Amino acid sequence: MSAHLIAFFTLREALRRRVVLAAALLTLGYLVLYGVGVWFGYRDLQETQGGPPGLTEGVVSLMLVGGLWSLNFIASVLAVFLSVGALSGEVDQGTLHAIAARPVRRSEIVLGKFVGFTLMLAVFIGVSASLMILIVAVITGEIVGGSWAGPFLMLLAAMLLIGLALAGSSRLSALPNGVIVFTLYATALIGGVIEQIGDVLESAVMFNIGVFSSVLVPTRAMWDMASAQLATGGFAGELSAGPFGASNPPSGWMLLIAFLHLALTLGFALRAFERRDF
Amino acid sequence: MSQPAAIYLSGVSKRYGDTLAVDDVSLSVAHGEVFGFLGPNGAGKSTLVKMILGLTHPTAGEIEVLGQPVGSLAARAEVGYLPETFRFHDWLTASELLHFHARLARVSADVRSQRARELLELVGLKDRANDRISTFSKGMMQRVGLAQALVGEPRLVILDEPTSALDPIGRRDVRDRIRELGEHGVTVFLNSHLLSEVEQVCDRVAIIDHGSIVAEGKLDELLNAQEIELRAGQGAEAAAREILGEGGVRQVNGRLRVRVANDDEIAGLIRRMVETGVPVYDVRQIGDSLEDLFVRVAERGDV
Repeated sequence: MSAHLIAFFTLREALRRRVVLAAALLTLGYLVLYGVGVWFGYRDLQETQGGPPGLTEGVVSLMLVGGLWSLNFIASVLAVFLSVGALSGEVDQGTLHAIAARPVRRSEIVLGKFVGFTLMLAVFIGVSASLMILIVAVITGEIVGGSWAGPFLMLLAAMLLIGLALAGSSRLSALPNGVIVFTLYATALIGGVIEQIGDVLESAVMFNIGVFSSVLVPTRAMWDMASAQLATGGFAGELSAGPFGASNPPSGWMLLIAFLHLALTLGFALRAFERRDF
Repeated sequence: MSQPAAIYLSGVSKRYGDTLAVDDVSLSVAHGEVFGFLGPNGAGKSTLVKMILGLTHPTAGEIEVLGQPVGSLAARAEVGYLPETFRFHDWLTASELLHFHARLARVSADVRSQRARELLELVGLKDRANDRISTFSKGMMQRVGLAQALVGEPRLVILDEPTSALDPIGRRDVRDRIRELGEHGVTVFLNSHLLSEVEQVCDRVAIIDHGSIVAEGKLDELLNAQEIELRAGQGAEAAAREILGEGGVRQVNGRLRVRVANDDEIAGLIRRMVETGVPVYDVRQIGDSLEDLFVRVAERGDV
């Protein structure tokens, strides 16, 4: 088996090419900005007199969910950018020729890259989400963030995009593949909004469009499930609804659909890359 | 031959849409042979090489490499390949590239470092071992690519235009390396359009044009079919036609040119002419280099 060699190689490339450094620096900058925002927001919140009980906890939770929502977005963009040209791009450049001629299965190349990118995103989400929870805890004294299921679902969303981008990359070059993957990602995002509006307006058609988009690309659904896990406190559910989450988080079936989606895209990537001519 | 061929192709074709890139090619390369594969640009050379490596799938036909079906891991473990593009991950250093490929080629850990060092020395990059490939010139990239091809101690080395980016000294070095490989019993499949290169190192050649093999054989046999130019007395042309038949005799710039199969035919021709009373003043071989052969093949589609 050489898949681990390819995975390690993929990680090393990201480190060496300073992809990791760039992402780390930008995230650090974002976290500083976020911390300043939380600090001022929390100060204003404490000056507010009265209000229903549990307001402070709810708002703090909302601030965290909002922050994690943007981390989730960065993770999604990172996942797509890393993997969109991973197969075709390297075949077109010729950098994969000597490697694919070695006693390495094509499937090991695909899986190795998938594992490499997933590990990168796992570290990114794990570290940045932990830092964010820490920032909120230090400033507000409130430990929010719920269970580990939240960050895991964020990672699952990123993995779905990696799978989708690798499937496309087995056939398409980076640019058209990127356009398609981002369009699908946007469809899922907009589908989520349509679903919410349909829910409020009690429009079955709009609601179903939203559900369909989530089945097509379950990234938004993963975030909705994650935000339901992350939001704690009495108000959190209601406050999180809106841009950062669904008022009705998806059922557990969506998790099954997500895993099926991943299996399908990876299966397609393996099959198509196996047959690909260099 | 009891041992299976190092490379065996039978009826191999490759079609891209309406284009037939490789058309019904059958070929056999013996173990330990240095085999030259020649053809003009776009003739289908690289497609064929990529099919032998399992990188491209043939539309029809059968390919075996080192006695194994093409693409099998067992076969690939013993093959070294220098791609035509010689593009490698340029964020690696030369030494890292060789280590990575050594691992992929299943070279045991205890010899990898030594192997990498020796090969970098062999291709003249000892001093650049720890420099990133992105800082290399094209010629250096091609040389590190050759080292990469040899890192697994392959039994079969496939070199696709290995000297295209090298200066004359670099080319000579690579020719020497190829000869050494041949002397050590390694089979070399050399894909090239540089005739002199092939002429100097290969035991046997095949020429491909428009996807088909148009000539194949031992170099001296292919080259022995040559022309001589005669300066002779009256009746020389008629005598030559009588002796060798109509086909191979022609006049060029007032001189007689005769196509002969080998040296014995030259000697026989001169003897017969003298016997029939035609004086022969001068015989000059029109050097039929591989280049002439190549051009003839490319122009006429036959030898």
